[in-house]
Amino acid sequence: MAVNINTVYLRVLAIANKEQRGYITPQEFNTLANQAQLDIFEQYFYDLNQFLRLPGNDTIHADPVDMLEEKIEKFSIFNAPATNANLDVLQVYRLGAVFARVSINGATQIIEAQHMSHSELRQYLSSPLTAPAKTRPMYTIDNNSIVMHGDGVDGTNINYIKKPVDVYWGYNIINGEALYNPATSINFELHASEETELVLKILSLSGVVIRDPQLYQIAATEDAKNIQQEKQ
Amino acid sequence: MALFKGTQQQYYDNSKTFTGNGSNKAFVLGFSPAPLLESDIDVFVNGTEVDNGDYVYASGTLTFDTAPASGALILVREINVDDQLGNYQYITLQDITNNFRVAYVGEGKIISKVKIPDINFHAQRAMQEFSYDTLKSEKSQEIELPPSLKMKLPHDYVNYVQFSWKDNAGVERIIYPVRKTSNPRAILQDGSYNYVFGDDNKLLTVEDSETWKAFKANSDNDNTVENVSGPDTDATLAEGRRYGLTPEHAQFNGLFFIDNSRGYAFFSSDLNGKVITIKYISDGLGTEDEMRVHKFAEEAIYKYIAHAILASKVNTPEYIVARFKRERRAAIRQAKLRLSNLKIEEINLVMKNKSKIIKH
Repeated sequence: MAVNINTVYLRVLAIANKEQRGYITPQEFNTLANQAQLDIFEQYFYDLNQFLRLPGNDTIHADPVDMLEEKIEKFSIFNAPATNANLDVLQVYRLGAVFARVSINGATQIIEAQHMSHSELRQYLSSPLTAPAKTRPMYTIDNNSIVMHGDGVDGTNINYIKKPVDVYWGYNIINGEALYNPATSINFELHASEETELVLKILSLSGVVIRDPQLYQIAATEDAKNIQQEKQ
Repeated sequence: MALFKGTQQQYYDNSKTFTGNGSNKAFVLGFSPAPLLESDIDVFVNGTEVDNGDYVYASGTLTFDTAPASGALILVREINVDDQLGNYQYITLQDITNNFRVAYVGEGKIISKVKIPDINFHAQRAMQEFSYDTLKSEKSQEIELPPSLKMKLPHDYVNYVQFSWKDNAGVERIIYPVRKTSNPRAILQDGSYNYVFGDDNKLLTVEDSETWKAFKANSDNDNTVENVSGPDTDATLAEGRRYGLTPEHAQFNGLFFIDNSRGYAFFSSDLNGKVITIKYISDGLGTEDEMRVHKFAEEAIYKYIAHAILASKVNTPEYIVARFKRERRAAIRQAKLRLSNLKIEEINLVMKNKSKIIKH
């Protein structure tokens, strides 16, 4: 379930305007919303690394690693054929496993390829036991494109995390006021549990935009409190 | 998921059966691996072979021009196919590395992270080491020995297990190595015994040394097994049982020696024209098809790879390395015991045979 952008917008406005702090225009909101979304999204990967070092629990719905994986899996694309190997064209945010499609005895098999830096590849190429082959493929990233190594590789499949779509609070100007237009709006793709976090992040960024240090401080303190609670 | 792939009919008969319903034209064969070409299959409907102009085969799917009648029995048989017989006893190196990654590598496992080529490297090294002294030797070549009395060593030869020649009854008679001759590199000399050099200032040599020529020319063909009378085949095997003599010479099965630098095995002249078999050890990495391990040794391979990776990573606690070293040793020992294929009935017979000979 995604997070409705209008809900977030109304909450941000309600809190920001409560004490006549200032007005956030729709254009500013859209910019800040995308910034907040990417901020939260990027943090997932660092949090996952941190939580993987903790013991965790067996509940799934309350295990921090499982919760984070659930949030990330919304953006996870599995075993997608990559006809164009350029990572920008593929809208890859984080590249996962890369597979080579090879034909062995007439049957197509998918074999995971190992990522190599160019210097590593040179070393691995020099040994017959480690050199890439059809059944032992490797890949490098050249000019942001996947280059597969190993004779007889027919194609490439990839697992990756796609970039969250840019959000947009769509509106029409009626009588000088911006009214929400759901038809042109694009909601947040983040997990529904991120709604509060989004509001706080946008508020915090709004405090910077409207030069209200108090607003920034309140939102940042609330955000820090949440993070502390999550990571205890 | 069951490990046996395909159907039993495919395994035993290389065929698959379908039943027509009067409308279905396309049938997915499901052969594993799939035949590559249309010429790799024969198609029969109700026992009558269908002309290959009446169907099309591509990418594992057979499509008839006209749908077979309802209830028609369609039989598709693969031809020119390598038999899969006996393959179930093996596991491929590819499967081993995949299984290893699942069971040993990852967050919270004994190896948190390792590159796939590193696993492949150690798996191949394990394959080599196991080929030398754990797995059973399955490689052999049989040739008719030419008058040159030389046999080329096999292309994937690492060491020999046994040379033998076939007698008239099809019994393999072991040929023993001779230690007191060889084919040394013979330097070409002129009439004044000076060395002769070539245009590139290198010493010239001749292919056959005088030593080898003399050994080759020795034709004591009277003392062959065919000349021994008597019904006792076991006695004529003559495995060095003439007491009081050097065992390697107290037999008449013939002799051989190997010249590793030239890549030839040389035989004594009494083996001229005989059918010679070499059973030998390779390293198991010659072709992709032979990169497979008997399932009796599967666990030993996992332990070998795990130990090799752990031992070569920095910061691995020494007690972990030691633990896997012990586990590897135990698993290899278990694999050797299993692969030695000891059957109590066979041991029983061997022991009875031994006691009989001692009574003589």
